[in-house]
Amino acid sequence: MIFIIILIIIKNEIKMSEEKVIVANKGLVRADFAFWVGQYLDKFYDGLENKKIMGNKCPKCGDVFVPPRKICGKCNVVIPLDENWVDLPETGTLMNFTITPYRINDRTSRKAKDWTIGMIQIDGSNTSVVYRLLNMEPEDIKIGMKVKIEWNEKTKGDPSDIKGFLKV
Amino acid sequence: MQKVGIVGYYQVKLYSDANYGRYEMIFEASRGALDKAGLKKKDISTVISCTNDYYDGRTISNCFTVEVGGGYMADESKVEMDGAHAVLYGLMRVLSGNHNLAAIWGGSMASCYPYHTVRLYETDPTWERSLAYVNDVTSAGFQMRAYMEKYGVTAEEIAKVAVKNKKNAAKNPLALKEAQLPNITVKDVLDSGIYADPVTELMVAPPCDCVAALLLAPEKQALKITDKPVWITGVGYNQDPYYLGDRDLSGCKSMNLAGKMAYNAAGINDPSSEIDVAELFEANAHEELIFAEELGFAKKGKGIEINSAINGDLPINPSGGALGGNPPCATGLIRIIEAVKQLTGEAGDYQVKGAKRAVASGQVGMCAQNNIIYVLEAN
Amino acid sequence: MGRQVAIASAGFSEHASKRSDVSMPELVSEAIEDCLKNAPGVEIGDIDAFVNGNMPAFEGSNIPELWMTDWMGARNKPLLRVTTGGTTGGTVAISGYYTVAAGLPGIDTVLAVAFEQQSQGDTSVGLASVAYGEISILNTLGIPYEQISRLLSAGAAIGVAAYQATTYMNKTKIKEEDLARVVVQNRRNAAKTWWAHLKMPNLTIEEVLDTPYVQYPLRYGMVCPASDGACAMLFTTEEKAKDICDIPVYVNGVASVANETAVLGYDGSGSCQIDPSMQLGAIRSAELTYSQAGISFPRKEIDYAEVYSPFPNQELMWVEKLGLFEEATAPEMYEAGVTAVNGELPVNCSGGVNATNAIGASAMERPAEAALQIMGKASNQVPKTVHTSIGSGWGGSLNLITLMAMSDQPRRKF
Ligand SMILES: [Zn+2]
Repeated sequence: MIFIIILIIIKNEIKMSEEKVIVANKGLVRADFAFWVGQYLDKFYDGLENKKIMGNKCPKCGDVFVPPRKICGKCNVVIPLDENWVDLPETGTLMNFTITPYRINDRTSRKAKDWTIGMIQIDGSNTSVVYRLLNMEPEDIKIGMKVKIEWNEKTKGDPSDIKGFLKV
Repeated sequence: MQKVGIVGYYQVKLYSDANYGRYEMIFEASRGALDKAGLKKKDISTVISCTNDYYDGRTISNCFTVEVGGGYMADESKVEMDGAHAVLYGLMRVLSGNHNLAAIWGGSMASCYPYHTVRLYETDPTWERSLAYVNDVTSAGFQMRAYMEKYGVTAEEIAKVAVKNKKNAAKNPLALKEAQLPNITVKDVLDSGIYADPVTELMVAPPCDCVAALLLAPEKQALKITDKPVWITGVGYNQDPYYLGDRDLSGCKSMNLAGKMAYNAAGINDPSSEIDVAELFEANAHEELIFAEELGFAKKGKGIEINSAINGDLPINPSGGALGGNPPCATGLIRIIEAVKQLTGEAGDYQVKGAKRAVASGQVGMCAQNNIIYVLEAN
Repeated sequence: MGRQVAIASAGFSEHASKRSDVSMPELVSEAIEDCLKNAPGVEIGDIDAFVNGNMPAFEGSNIPELWMTDWMGARNKPLLRVTTGGTTGGTVAISGYYTVAAGLPGIDTVLAVAFEQQSQGDTSVGLASVAYGEISILNTLGIPYEQISRLLSAGAAIGVAAYQATTYMNKTKIKEEDLARVVVQNRRNAAKTWWAHLKMPNLTIEEVLDTPYVQYPLRYGMVCPASDGACAMLFTTEEKAKDICDIPVYVNGVASVANETAVLGYDGSGSCQIDPSMQLGAIRSAELTYSQAGISFPRKEIDYAEVYSPFPNQELMWVEKLGLFEEATAPEMYEAGVTAVNGELPVNCSGGVNATNAIGASAMERPAEAALQIMGKASNQVPKTVHTSIGSGWGGSLNLITLMAMSDQPRRKF
């Protein structure tokens, strides 16, 4: 079973007065978390490891989800684990994008060089995934343009297997 | 829905780095509200607090606020969303008939924790969180672009909202000092640096420190406590799906549905003419326009055409709104308090003349995933 | 103002120490499926509003109900999140009650969901940070951190519970056997409850006393497990409940009262500091709840109780503080079998928190089981007819008590 480990550090400062800031245990309470992804995502991540995109399809409305889900929120129906799987291509359409200097991760948030993040609808699916847009100048980026997955050379079966999306 | 009275309130001034302990701030707010209403702690029958364990950096953070928040031996509980949601729970408790005075307080000190990092913990840890491409910064950018693309609204037009709110904040003595910009121009906003393109830094509600408190009482008690109660005549709340790709970010369906629920309760048919002032929790400048449209103040994409200045047709955020300071867990509660001030004529330099009916909103989540809206009326 | 509220159904996910086969939202959806399965005629689309809660620091997810919207069926529905630590489940159930009682337009049927998937995080680190702020204040008083780090155990539940246990034992002059007897009753009961975690049908007092101490007087075999699980309850109006189920369970009284923050207070004052088994909050919660429900003689009028007791001493304490038995008499009642399944006043026939503890859900599983006993649908159903029952929760730093009183008759006083 795959799980994703995320490290959380809770900063715990107590302000006493203007001059004095007490930092408990040198500022850090550490707690490790390992999230069970469930059987739907487990199958999906197995696919990613083999550089394959899999979605699943709502038996009622026919919407295709990437990543796959147990429940279609629109119809409130369970999508059975063994059925309705769809193999999807590596290509998609850019639905939205933003450019930001902020880097936000579990340890800190800081500013660096601008990078571009896009919302991409994988062809054949009805929702978007959010990934980096690679090798694109801001003036090249147009909503509605075709993009394709750039895989990481070594895949691990987690979200980082997709490095980002390239212009087709 | 039976009407419930707001009989007291208090808001600590917003600071980007408050020289307060957390408990002092909570005490000042909850005591301040009681003093304003001329009540004693023993009069409180229920206390609803609004904090967040992640914002406070400790588990069950509310269990240490029992005494300072007036909850000792009172029926108490905690809502972990926006302060405006805590007011909802207080309202439900009053409406149930079990309680005669509900004290609600909410707030946190954003100067004591890494705001964006903590917001990241709201995201799906099994899919999006480890890469952190979905966060409060990028989602703001997606939302503004979706709105601009769909309706052809320009960044200049959205910057005007920020200009209005920052100028309004300059008239509000409790607003964040850094957000009080009486001479700000559209160019200043557009040149303030990329936050998440097309959002610029000055279009974003700055996280800060504050605690605010509010007192609710049923109609009969409210009239005994004060001759100037403000009535809650409608409330609506609603939650959108989580994934950004599942939503139409150019609008906000949850705000629309929440608005319908609240208008239905308050008997409002034509919001743009029946509402005199709105205090909306806009996490970014463009959200004010999206919300105003979803609440029926203007047609979709035409939010910018509303004359929303303090002396305009439908003033929005005369206090400066969340762009005048966004203390997590308090912002929506402050919007309610600001709306109350408008209805009781206590808003000072940013008073809207003759305001009789107001709406105030709160939100939580990326791109305002869960929204709550109140209809408030003067006595 | 207000209206009668009824519980129409309750459901559980399967509980285990590691539910590694499901993600957090999938775990929640299991409980909801079970809850709705027990309420034929109600579909997820019929739910008007949702209430949700857990202890967010245990799973490393802040406001996780945002993420699990679709798994709950809450898309574009009103949703409120409440959380108060160990009492979260009770708090969620109570806010489910208030959401119906308030009578907001369009809101009649409310689904309340509480959950915890503790296997994802480090619960003791999470609990340690309950005490953390106070520890750094001790630090400023000149006590070096290295010397007080031991106090972390005082912040985690077992530390405070051991302190509470010794004060209680001193008052009642009971022995460890009395504590072990409670454990044996709970875990044998758990064996008959389908969703319970620690099922030990043949456990004996000797076996419990044979395990090593975690912290005197609590032994390893007496302490609750850490579970993954979820619980859901369906609240609705009196009229609708009659359509949904044969025996609607009316919620006649609710309260959640906290007394002063315990044990690690700044100045060492307060009843909790002096005697953590005093529990003024529990006494006040009981007063409020019983007065709303019109219960004057709890010992006589209450037929069944589910109390929140991760540690056996607490079960003895709560049944006294909540007015079921006289002060310091609970151990005798357990010995005499009064609290057994076929006893006069059965307690924790589900096995209680002592056998299953998915913290955020635990305090909801108490009123949920207490309601199922009235409906006659509990896994370990008591032979006698239950008319009135209570379900309690415990949390905060020893100091917050939730309580819900239920009955087969609408008796809430207005
Ligand atoms: Zn569907």
